Amino acid sequence: MRHVMRILAIVFAALVLAALQSTTPPYAMLTGPIRTAGHQSDTVASATLSLAIEDISNARTIEYEHFGKAMKLETSGVWVVIDARLQAFRQTMPIRAATLVGASGRCYRQSERAAGAPDSLAAKTLQPGLPTTGIFIFELPEDETTDMTLVVSEQYDPQLQDEVSVKLDPLVAAPQDQLDLGLNGD
Amino acid sequence: MAIDREHKKRLFALASLPVLVVVAVLINAARNIDDYRHRIEADISKSDAALDYAGATWSLSQIRLIGDGRDTEVRFPGEMRLIIVRLSATAIEQIGEGWGQCEVGLVDGTGRRWLPLDVVLSHDISRDLAPADEPLDGCGITSLNPPAPGATTIVEEKFVVPESAVASLSLRLSVGPLRPAAIAFPLGLDHS
Repeated sequence: MRHVMRILAIVFAALVLAALQSTTPPYAMLTGPIRTAGHQSDTVASATLSLAIEDISNARTIEYEHFGKAMKLETSGVWVVIDARLQAFRQTMPIRAATLVGASGRCYRQSERAAGAPDSLAAKTLQPGLPTTGIFIFELPEDETTDMTLVVSEQYDPQLQDEVSVKLDPLVAAPQDQLDLGLNGD
Repeated sequence: MAIDREHKKRLFALASLPVLVVVAVLINAARNIDDYRHRIEADISKSDAALDYAGATWSLSQIRLIGDGRDTEVRFPGEMRLIIVRLSATAIEQIGEGWGQCEVGLVDGTGRRWLPLDVVLSHDISRDLAPADEPLDGCGITSLNPPAPGATTIVEEKFVVPESAVASLSLRLSVGPLRPAAIAFPLGLDHS
């Protein structure tokens, strides 16, 4: 009888431990981003920053001038250029991380090919009290543009930091052949 | 009798487990709290004059507000203003690595914090304002080569701030080894 009680106690302890283990949230979830979500028509604001979408364009080719040199970037997919207005509330912060989640769920980071484009938000730093406008540029397959979400944070894979996401309206218009982004570096 | 003693030992070992777990959690929490305290500025000494901190006597030596057309002819759009602050630091003892992780910022009355411009942009602005002069380093670079005892160094930092915050700004400085202790100097800028 004593042996049976011991075995039962061990089985019970194992069950309790298994239950504890299976219900413990993973560390990545506990220390993950603090998410705030909204729609394109809203200004989506977290405790530390806000994001408002002003315009979205798509094109086969983007053009701009970089330090006097004409740049013409083509793609087999489509360029998506998002005009946005950002504001920091508490502290100076760069916005190094902007990701476009496409219709398939795949994530597209800002294009490094277009890193020298004028007014790029990737090159700007937000200062509290000074709203900043600029553009995010993404290169992605055209079929991804039917359902997109823009996700913005201070850095990629934020931990216990704000992450703002905006559900974008589907792009109904066909991509422009060319989109002129203007001058940079002059 | 021996079996009874062995049984007591096992019970004691089992009963000590929860205590050990609690102690381990407390020790870990204490370490985390200590790490956190070294990342925040909670114990702030404020003065309009000089303050001793991190082996040196610190004071504001120059403040410039640029962008409204008064300091220079430059006018920045909207609320944007550039503040250039020079801090004088006279070493009163050997500093060594005591200025490591030096942080400088401007803080307003509501707790908003503006961080300095990066080194490249800061030096570009310095060269535009005074082409003949060598740009002064900020706190981070100066911390790598602090002044010897009795010597004085000038630290310069530049900030972009909104005009509406200018009147309530204080400069705050702290170094890694001494945080949460920090020093603060009200800028006393009247933008009206």
